Amino acid sequence: MAQSRPIQGNSSDKDNEERFQTELEFVQCLANPNYLNFLAQRGYFKSNNFVNYLKYLQYWKEPMYAKYLKYPQALHFLELLQYEQFRKELANQQCAKFIDDQQLLHWQHYQRKRMQLLRAEAEHAREMGETKPA
Amino acid sequence: MASASTGSTKQRLLTLIEDVEIATRELFEIMSTPKGQQRPGAPEPTELIQLLVEKDKEIKECLQTASKQAEIQKTIDDLKHEVDKRDLDIKILQKNLKEAENVLSTAIFQAKQKLEAINKANEKRISSEELIKFAHRISASNAVEAPPTWQPGDPRRPYPTDYEMRGGWLAKMSDMPNNVPAVQSQGSYGEPMATNRNPGPAEISVPPTQSHLGSLTWQGHGDGQMSSMGSHLHGNQGSEFKGHKDVDEVEIMSSDSSSSSSSDE
Repeated sequence: MAQSRPIQGNSSDKDNEERFQTELEFVQCLANPNYLNFLAQRGYFKSNNFVNYLKYLQYWKEPMYAKYLKYPQALHFLELLQYEQFRKELANQQCAKFIDDQQLLHWQHYQRKRMQLLRAEAEHAREMGETKPA
Repeated sequence: MASASTGSTKQRLLTLIEDVEIATRELFEIMSTPKGQQRPGAPEPTELIQLLVEKDKEIKECLQTASKQAEIQKTIDDLKHEVDKRDLDIKILQKNLKEAENVLSTAIFQAKQKLEAINKANEKRISSEELIKFAHRISASNAVEAPPTWQPGDPRRPYPTDYEMRGGWLAKMSDMPNNVPAVQSQGSYGEPMATNRNPGPAEISVPPTQSHLGSLTWQGHGDGQMSSMGSHLHGNQGSEFKGHKDVDEVEIMSSDSSSSSSSDE
């Protein structure tokens, strides 16, 4: 099942290209915990072929390929998916929800920090303004 | 009255002095008693006086020896003092040497670490431009950081959503009867993005035949931010579609919402 790297002279260029595109998309879809839950519930993770495919997909970690990714979180999920325990857990809806929540919170992390910083600065500036004229 | 020639000078001296004391006492005794009352074995005064003279000479010699010995002792003390000083110097040098060794070994260790780090970094060179491009790509589309105006009801997510997934290549590869193959344009990496922009003919980018996968220099358009347009999936009714042939079938649940093609920003 395991395919070789995309750089291969056998298949046509168009095929290679298609394969690149689709694998790119698929790998990034793995960043979606709901999708993972979907796959788990339909038993895809139990098939050996699929597990091997996931192993093969790890080539996206190399910088040469990784630079095309828009959602780099997908790589983290890819790594986690190599473990059977994780794949089993994903069938659980709550697990997927938890992961989703954590992802969102992490996603908002930078903005929150920024807001805090700006707020702190604004307050500081206000205090300085108040104390100065007095 | 034996003269002590063994033992230390001090002892010899003391013995001699005792001998002299005894001899003088004897002398006085003999001189003080008249001739008739002397003991039978008593020595003659002349003998005693000779003895005294001898003892005196011996004492003088002894004293000379003693003074010579004193000088020698002084020299010994001086030399000992010098030896102690040298010992101290040696100890100090030893300490310095040890410290220097420590410092050098630390320096070498750190230098080795630095070299390792340099080698490691050299193995994985990345041009700063590429890094910046990549950083721009993942940040500009809010893929790794929430947009500042994001509220809990916002459909945008840090991963490709259902909507976007349906609008991508994977969906296109399906056997869906409703698939409209038109306006399939692939930008740099066919990643669909769901925004609410109006699709227009200007979004159609160059068909993928140009890019040569052999060299994998995927020249995106502009800074590579272009992405594909989704396919027109109108009125999906619970249809399934397969992924590309080499993979196991990937089923994607479709909802009944129709999605028109939309493109990236």
